[in-house]
Amino acid sequence: MTDTAQSTDLNLQVDRRGFLKGCTMVAAALGISEAMIPKLVEAATSAQRPPVIWLHFQECTGCTESLLRASHPDIGRLILDIISLDYHETVMAAAGHQAEKSLHDTLDKYAGKFLCVVEGAIPTKDNGIYCKIAGRTAVDILAEVAPKAAAIIAIGACATYGGIQAAQPNPTGAKGVQDLVSGTPVINIPGCPPNPISFLGTVLHYLTFNRLPVTDNLGRPLFAYGRKIHDHCERRAHFDEGRFAEEFGDFGHRNGYCLYKLGCKGPETFSNCPSARFNDVDVWPVSVGHGCIGCTEPNFWDTMTPFYERLPNVQIPGTSGITDIDSAGKTILGVAAAAVGIHAAIGIGKKVIKGCGCKNENKES
Amino acid sequence: MIYEKHYVWSILLRLYHWSLVSSVVTLAITGFYINTPWTLTTLEGTGLYPMLTMRNIHSLAGYLFTAAILVRIFLLIFGNRHERILDLLPVTSRNIKNMSTTLCSYSYLHDCQDEERLGHNVVAGVIYVLTIIVALFQMASGFYLRLPESVFWQKWGVMLFGTQQHARFEHHLMMWYFIVFALIHIYLVIWNDLKHPDGITSSIFTGNKFRPRSIK
Repeated sequence: MTDTAQSTDLNLQVDRRGFLKGCTMVAAALGISEAMIPKLVEAATSAQRPPVIWLHFQECTGCTESLLRASHPDIGRLILDIISLDYHETVMAAAGHQAEKSLHDTLDKYAGKFLCVVEGAIPTKDNGIYCKIAGRTAVDILAEVAPKAAAIIAIGACATYGGIQAAQPNPTGAKGVQDLVSGTPVINIPGCPPNPISFLGTVLHYLTFNRLPVTDNLGRPLFAYGRKIHDHCERRAHFDEGRFAEEFGDFGHRNGYCLYKLGCKGPETFSNCPSARFNDVDVWPVSVGHGCIGCTEPNFWDTMTPFYERLPNVQIPGTSGITDIDSAGKTILGVAAAAVGIHAAIGIGKKVIKGCGCKNENKES
Repeated sequence: MIYEKHYVWSILLRLYHWSLVSSVVTLAITGFYINTPWTLTTLEGTGLYPMLTMRNIHSLAGYLFTAAILVRIFLLIFGNRHERILDLLPVTSRNIKNMSTTLCSYSYLHDCQDEERLGHNVVAGVIYVLTIIVALFQMASGFYLRLPESVFWQKWGVMLFGTQQHARFEHHLMMWYFIVFALIHIYLVIWNDLKHPDGITSSIFTGNKFRPRSIK
């Protein structure tokens, strides 16, 4: 992979070597036999491959950026080469009415055949006015496109589970695709951004086998999201051995110890990051010294924060106070202990005043 | 006054109680370690595996906890008359009366004890049933965290708790329920033992309780 990492040319064509290499990488990510690679290649070069409509809603375009730019031109170009992208606001040449015409032409011509990729959350509050394209709300656009698509791939944390827009208090009522679409199969490729390999694997799986890959209970393909990050992490031995970085830049951190105590969310996050890695230079957050923030999990902005603590904070009922879970637990225990103390003191006080408190004992005495 | 010995707690119930005590104590200590490991190891190549050991002990204690809770649920249905669920909940007039007597006694309004009753008082009974329900959730979240890739636990875990992080958070929160429960439980046992001569503390070792012979 070193040759592609060093490659700086801006040739928009993928050469055959790069193309085959990309297909091989995807086959490895999918966990399918190398004997299947010719079938992947065949599916990826077939003239009848379905066109793709790529919808952008509430998002930062980071998913597209990570797919197309990054430092792995082969994968980025492979995606553009394999999928016949009829509508993508970031990369299409057409603009304005031309672009909208292209969208509607594809909708009419390939109804029930095209793949729909959604990037970004869909705001539903106040009739969806918080996201409009060509004068129409995101809700309307999705409602028009989704029923005609053969399948929908939701890419990124926003399109899958709402992302940062849906974080508390979710002012625009943002939702993920799976909450709004019924009847059309939806597959989730969460992440902020997801690994391009996971997206490409899903697309190639669909092109080759004509169905979406098997998913877990949160709608994520098992080939990419079937294993916990923690179980494949290169720092796992340090975890089992109890060697932890206590703070950024300390001895443990500099020696590559486990980032668990710095709030790494690897133990509760499902993704292929430790094996697929990013950017063709074999890096991923934990390998470069920052804990996982759990971006492939639903509502990670609410449940994985604070990012540098293990567990979310708790709201103290009836107040605006927020504290960590163990302080809250200790407070409750303290209140219980105080109540016990007061209860015991009343009992002792009563006994001192009355002499003996119990009827039975009175009888005995 | 002459007191009579009555056999109240079966061996199985006493085994359940002490299994639960030992497992909860072990689970809380190892659980705290797993959440916030307090050892600071920088030795390499020693093979001490403190975290691995703690997690294994935690799992082992978790299985003991599960067994204990399953035994208690069995006894709720098939135990002796003091152990069955109908004796624990305010569902009969006798139990409702006991509940008000106990609450009055606990708040020092009067000193009477329901002397006829041998089993749990109904206030305790309600809390024990609640504790078993919390324990079931604790077990489910524990298995979901331990076996995250199992299709069965993933299905139920996502349904009951949400993601792994939710389950972890709720698992930790429920631990505090058991700690607070232990404090109040031990206090009330001592309080009752000081107040009433029915031998409540020794009953969980011997199974026997005492009540005046005049009561049939």
